[in-house]
Amino acid sequence: MRDFVIRRTLAAFVVLVLVSMFVFGMMHLLPGDALVVKLGETGRIPPSQMAELRAKMGIDDPLVVQYINWVRDILDGSMGDSLIFTGRSVSSRIGNALPVTIELGILGMASALIIGLPLGVISAVKQDSPLDYLIRVVSLFGLSIPQFWLGIIIIVYGTRYLGYAPPSKWIPFEDDPIGNLKMMWIPALVLGFGFAASIMRITRSTVLEALHEDYARTARAKGLAERAVVYRHVVRNALIPVVTFVGNQAAFVFSGALLVELLFLLPGMGRLTLQAIQNRDYPQVQGSALVAAAIVVFLNLLVDISYGWIDPRVRYS
Amino acid sequence: MAATSQTTQDVYFAPPETRVPRWVRWFASFTRRQPIAAASLAVLVLICAMAVAAPLLAKQPPDAQNLAERLAGPSWDHPLGGDELGRDVWSRLLYGARISLGAGLGATAIGVAAGVVLGLVSGYAGGFVDMTIQRIMDAIMALPPLILLMVLASTLDQNFRNVIIAISIFIAPGTARVVRGSVLTLKEMTFVEAARAIGASPGRIIFAHILPNTFAPVIVLTSITVGSVIIIEAALGYLGLSVRIPAATWGNMLNTGAAKWEQDPLLALAPGIAIIITVFAINLLGDGLRDVLDPRLRGKT
Repeated sequence: MRDFVIRRTLAAFVVLVLVSMFVFGMMHLLPGDALVVKLGETGRIPPSQMAELRAKMGIDDPLVVQYINWVRDILDGSMGDSLIFTGRSVSSRIGNALPVTIELGILGMASALIIGLPLGVISAVKQDSPLDYLIRVVSLFGLSIPQFWLGIIIIVYGTRYLGYAPPSKWIPFEDDPIGNLKMMWIPALVLGFGFAASIMRITRSTVLEALHEDYARTARAKGLAERAVVYRHVVRNALIPVVTFVGNQAAFVFSGALLVELLFLLPGMGRLTLQAIQNRDYPQVQGSALVAAAIVVFLNLLVDISYGWIDPRVRYS
Repeated sequence: MAATSQTTQDVYFAPPETRVPRWVRWFASFTRRQPIAAASLAVLVLICAMAVAAPLLAKQPPDAQNLAERLAGPSWDHPLGGDELGRDVWSRLLYGARISLGAGLGATAIGVAAGVVLGLVSGYAGGFVDMTIQRIMDAIMALPPLILLMVLASTLDQNFRNVIIAISIFIAPGTARVVRGSVLTLKEMTFVEAARAIGASPGRIIFAHILPNTFAPVIVLTSITVGSVIIIEAALGYLGLSVRIPAATWGNMLNTGAAKWEQDPLLALAPGIAIIITVFAINLLGDGLRDVLDPRLRGKT
């Protein structure tokens, strides 16, 4: 077990190093001069400061040196300075935005589980009934609706007919938990909708499988009510693949959260990154991407390690 | 006796059937077993045909501006009305389908092809090559797709080719993983050993013996991927990171639609519904294909 954790952690670290090279590589697909030109085109930086900026960005250094400098900035915690917001480090801006995205991601996944799990169980228990077909069609339809379009429609028609308006001012959870949840529940549902459909489909198939396992038959044979068989034996065992799925969706939840928060004007990583791209604030883009990847790698590591805790049959080898 | 006459009858009726090409017979049986999936395929073919025939079906070019038609409602000449610059929404929807479907099919084709090759090599070679490829795939998969695409959009020019390349980068790892998984099982099988024993080269073993056996999961995965690529491309378009305006894409139509909904709610609905119909049909088709090609996965996602 300890060896497994150490080995997985090392592998995760290697992946993170590769991600950093990959992100760095993508940012340097264009030669540095072209980057500076693009930056100049935005008009955010007066031409008089461009020369100074060139020096600061170290554009004339070899790529290896630039990469090492970036890694040094990451290690000292600042991740470099924003080019546009002078005096702000990349990491301090991420520090403000990240909690919003993480909260939205957690709430979105929670709502997906609350909707998807029971529907999946019902659908499996009542296999081939009209209810099963209805749930399956709705879930497949749910997979086909782009989250951001659903968000647009809710904002458009909610504003028009239901008096809903996307929040105009961000209320941090620690200041006013209720006010915060009031503004977050609709975006969270929008984010969770598509994932609920996937969770429902996976739950349905694993529950169906578990219903025919020997232990379910044994439980029935000893005279347990079907209800008890389903809840005490089947569902508990069927949850393992669902947990794996939820863990492996981290990258997609993060992506979805970026879009949803942009729609609902929440000040998270989506707005930060998109703004950075529009301003050609390269260190910021680079930093956002790395932090997003680091979170995904960390979550996947947690899922891997937690297998044994969720399912004692798993042997770490 | 009864059995014999049955056989004779079969033989008697057999000749005309054998002249039908194999794929036609396969397709006929697919239609019989999966009518919903076959109907979805028909819908998809129709949508593709409409995209190809856009110049014939559109009553005016997608970027022709007509100020009198600004935010106009539906009319005979403009079935879906006009947008904020008085361009015909119906025409933009048709031309937008070209980019959305083109990106969906193009990026999936490139990404899956790359993924298949990487998966084959990784699974067959094993050892250091396998580990290196797998860690690189892990690294790509660790980046949330939208972040990856945002970063690429910031350095690449936003044209059709680059959008396809960018999207295909995040498709390849998933395919590579699936293919590698099946290769690991396949390469231990007797028929591969037999091929090796008679002296087949690794290239021949990989492409003639292993590759055809990985098709079923790859086809299923591909069909579903096309749908998610269409959604991702629309998201990029919505954020203004896909093919640059004034070209019409379903994504950037949603963008203007969302901004002008107060004057004309149809602007946000039309492209959204186009996306949903297309992706829903793709998902239904994918479900049907999976049931036929991979009985083990029946009923699973």
